Amino acid sequence: MIKIQNFTRSFGSHKALDNVSLTVNRGEMVALIGASGSGKSTLLRHISGIMAGDKNGGSIEVMGRMVQQNGRVQRDVRKTRAGVGMVFQQFNLVDRLQVLTNVMLGALGRVPLWRTTLNFFPKNVRALAIESLARVGIAEKAFQRASTLSGGQQQRAAIARVLTQKAEVLLADEPIASLDPESSRRVMDILAELNKKDDLTVVVSLHQVDYALCYCPRTIALKDGRIVYDGLSSALTPAFLRDLYGAACESMFTGTVDKAKVHAGTQQQAILTLNPVAA
Amino acid sequence: MASVSEAHPETKMAPLYKNPTTNRMRSLLSLAGWGLFLTILAWSWQGAEIRPLALVTDAGNMATFAKDFFPPDFTDWRMYLEEMAVTVQIALWGTVLAVIFAVPLGILSSENLVPWWVYQPVRRLMDAARAINEMVFAMLFVVAVGLGPFAGVLALFVHTTGVLAKLFSEAVEAIDPQPVEGIRATGALGVEEVIFGVIPQVLPLWISYSLYRFESNIRSATVVGMVGAGGIGVLLWELIRGFYFARTCAVMLIIIAVVVAFDLLSQHIRKRFV
Repeated sequence: MIKIQNFTRSFGSHKALDNVSLTVNRGEMVALIGASGSGKSTLLRHISGIMAGDKNGGSIEVMGRMVQQNGRVQRDVRKTRAGVGMVFQQFNLVDRLQVLTNVMLGALGRVPLWRTTLNFFPKNVRALAIESLARVGIAEKAFQRASTLSGGQQQRAAIARVLTQKAEVLLADEPIASLDPESSRRVMDILAELNKKDDLTVVVSLHQVDYALCYCPRTIALKDGRIVYDGLSSALTPAFLRDLYGAACESMFTGTVDKAKVHAGTQQQAILTLNPVAA
Repeated sequence: MASVSEAHPETKMAPLYKNPTTNRMRSLLSLAGWGLFLTILAWSWQGAEIRPLALVTDAGNMATFAKDFFPPDFTDWRMYLEEMAVTVQIALWGTVLAVIFAVPLGILSSENLVPWWVYQPVRRLMDAARAINEMVFAMLFVVAVGLGPFAGVLALFVHTTGVLAKLFSEAVEAIDPQPVEGIRATGALGVEEVIFGVIPQVLPLWISYSLYRFESNIRSATVVGMVGAGGIGVLLWELIRGFYFARTCAVMLIIIAVVVAFDLLSQHIRKRFV
């Protein structure tokens, strides 16, 4: 679903993404971890073509369509984006619009301009939006302004927008970083459910490693714009992460996720040897 | 940059305390600044021919003149009110046309939405529309479309478009870009990003600015008539020229009442939106 080849993006002399190559298959749920400034958000924003990479900076393909190549975002990126839902740390809803309108905006990619301009969305879009809100459990909030919702509810509305978009890929950029543990778990539960039931391919960047361990079978770890680990999440022990990140990784464990779900150490050792990238 | 200096005030402030010469330089500079300002004031005093003594020596004249204004003569009040209504109508249409044009022009002069080769020319055009006073435009439009209120509407429209486009674009430049990015990520067109991401954010401010301009356009509409562009100004000009000061006073009182009424009304509406 996502194919990134030798991708580089520099800000001045600093390389935010350094020769990143990775492939994500349909139906995977992948965690993207790393300390602040390691390039997680930058990578996700490049995948949706909101930002362009360096000249000769490699290529990104999503769903078999080229998003960008050598620093040039493709002209038809809009069509690709329509299939790629995005969820952000700050939810990025339009505060003053109704929740339902915000959710219907997911359909902008496929509804003709004259209809959207007149705020005249087709009935099936409206129905799908209400259904999506019901799925994330906030149907009763549909006619409130987005700004009146709590953070967790806003994030669920943002996910409903992705559902209305009928996206095949969901890029979630630190979706739970501004939420309390309870809301965080709910949001991650919803993402996991969409991944399993709707076969949505999910790439979620996380600051807290324990959520990655708990929800995502595969983890990609970034450090200074480079991939330093790509493999099973179960192989990521605190000791291993300390090796990767040094003392900075202490803050990456919140201790709020059920420890019983984290796999035992012996298992991790075995997996580590199977993943040469980790070595 | 501002956030950096806020976060670490000591990095900026410290040298000032430590270095007395910088301190002295600063106070010298500020002294020179005040000196310059006072010089300019003195120079302008001459240019503007300000003679405060005239207020005292000509006080008798002014008292006689003021006496002519009272009591106000409301004999023709029906006509005054009709003309005042025309004045409000001129202001209304001048403002509405300006708002309609200022929306696209304001967006086209916002540097966070369009490239420089779009916003630079549009901004310069709006500068020109704004730089020239309504009265000047009124004189020009009287020549172009003839005497009457329509010339006034056009004059207010052109000037107000220039003002509103600037205010609108400043509001747009201050928006939160994140919701716009959220909409872009759904595969929306640029126009849709503006309609759903930008406009909901700026709408309260835009409404407030438009109402404020309507208030000030009512005031302006009372004078464009003096150059023949319709409204109560025509009447006012004729009364003053004919030395009918009691009637002038009546017209002025009506203008004050209407302007105050609309100011209060628009303030009230604005409060609901902000």
